[in-house]
Amino acid sequence: MGRFARSLGIRHLVCGSCNGCEQEMNALFGPDVDITQHGWELVASPRHADVVTVTGPMTEAMREPARRTLEAVPEPSVVVAVGDCALGTGVFAGSPDVGAGAGVELGAAVAVPGCPPAPEAIVAGLRRAAEVLDRR
Amino acid sequence: MSALAATLPHAICAELERGWPLGAYAAHDGLRYLVLGSDGVRMVHVPRGDEPCRAVSALVPAFAWDEREMADEWGVAFDALPDPRALWARGGALPDAIVASGPGVTRIVVGPVHAGIIEPGRFTFSSGGETVVHLDAQLGFSHRGLERAFAGADPLTLAPRVARICGACSASRSLAYAIALETIAGAQIPDEVELARLLLAELERIANHVFDLAVCASAAGWAPGFTTGLGLKEAAMRLAATACGHRLFFDAIVPGGVRAEILADRTALRVQVDALAARVEEFLRVLFDNASLVSRWTGTGALSFDEVRALGVLGPAHRASGGTIDVRDALPYGAYRWLPTDVALETTGDVGARCRVKAAELRTSFTFVRRALDQLGASALPAPTPLALRCGTSTSVVEGPRGAETISVAIEDGVVTRLHAIAASYRTWPAVALATMRGIVPDFPLVNKSFNLCYACADR
Repeated sequence: MGRFARSLGIRHLVCGSCNGCEQEMNALFGPDVDITQHGWELVASPRHADVVTVTGPMTEAMREPARRTLEAVPEPSVVVAVGDCALGTGVFAGSPDVGAGAGVELGAAVAVPGCPPAPEAIVAGLRRAAEVLDRR
Repeated sequence: MSALAATLPHAICAELERGWPLGAYAAHDGLRYLVLGSDGVRMVHVPRGDEPCRAVSALVPAFAWDEREMADEWGVAFDALPDPRALWARGGALPDAIVASGPGVTRIVVGPVHAGIIEPGRFTFSSGGETVVHLDAQLGFSHRGLERAFAGADPLTLAPRVARICGACSASRSLAYAIALETIAGAQIPDEVELARLLLAELERIANHVFDLAVCASAAGWAPGFTTGLGLKEAAMRLAATACGHRLFFDAIVPGGVRAEILADRTALRVQVDALAARVEEFLRVLFDNASLVSRWTGTGALSFDEVRALGVLGPAHRASGGTIDVRDALPYGAYRWLPTDVALETTGDVGARCRVKAAELRTSFTFVRRALDQLGASALPAPTPLALRCGTSTSVVEGPRGAETISVAIEDGVVTRLHAIAASYRTWPAVALATMRGIVPDFPLVNKSFNLCYACADR
């Protein structure tokens, strides 16, 4: 068991997502999946976060707020790219007004593909994030 | 008002006397104002000349965002636009918010990043103590330039991108897009396919409405209602997966029909529908039997019928404030042509009324799903009807979970030259701000969640 005892404070950052990944993120907190049983919680400020989950292809309007959010997260931290758009492989990749993918632009260390990924896949990604944090 | 009306295109005023404003957009040869009439969507074309266009929103606030978007995104010059600010962020920067000033008035800015799993938007409150004096809701952080990106696309291969304009109302928007293309092609869709599409659209409504009620419990401070509702949302998403292989209905409804292999296991589907219907009924009972919860909902964030009329609001927020339009009933499409809609009607316009409308519509949706399953029986679903799409324009409108989902599409030489989507959320966001101005700052989460609008389909 590392420094984090695998408990995580999670901040979620939406960067042009269609809201599909958000529905699966919400499912993490319902009674069926309930990630709070692992000691994981959604935190109300980036100052409290260990993990930032990011979604969407990245929009022009979100680039600066996203950068400032990550700047506010104390180290060590890890970015988790949730969904194909964040990985730059979604249906809007290459569209003139969107970026390379929120996870690509923000240096994600963990990738959770899917359109959207199932809650179980996101949970597995968060587990990998905890392992990454233990090494940082 | 009459002097101003005299300067507006007469045709728009004439249509609005008989219909309900849907929205407006810029096409290559002029502006299109859409009005929901009793016999279909009426379109008024305003040519673009050298002179600036008269701003219709000076008289009809419903078109305010549409005209700002036309000015900002498509370079339309307007004379006397009431709010000439850019609708969306440009170069990453939003225009200044409108704020109130005066002794004791303070400003609270929230967003675009929120504490939770919430899409981005900036909300600027002007408040005197706790009382909200003004709220400016500024969106556009999810603006992906989709309508520009769609131009030049093959209409059929565009469908998966249209389905992902918004993840919360994907089935409804895919259905609107399919109907628009099928209208252009003059295609006939078999009854079984229309039943399957109705079933998917109603399952989408169920998934959205249970979640909306869950967050209205949460925003009023009742955690058990939230947790129970989240469990029902999960059950509804699993039901979606059983029905069409995708938890959010992506790509299940396609131009010409439905994707192969949907509704394959109708026995399992029926069992899951019955189980979920019973759980939802119990959920509604505990919600509306909770006197303190209902008390919190009562009188909060009320909108009058005149206000929803001025803003062109449709959907549950329309029917909660005395409106009687439900697109499924007013302009029936697909299987709604023979399965009638029991329109939910409330008049108090507050959070409670919006919740009661959604409760009634949940029951109606389960009735629809069961009737569709009954009529479908074991009949096979044919492959999508091939669509010949060379040239044409069409506007279609369906009743999504949040109201009218409108798609206008123009095709020339087999490619999409213009696609405009008017989302119910886009139409309704100004109403959220207005309803919030009735109360105190701590009421905002509850008022907001009683609409529970999307940002992605508003921003596109």
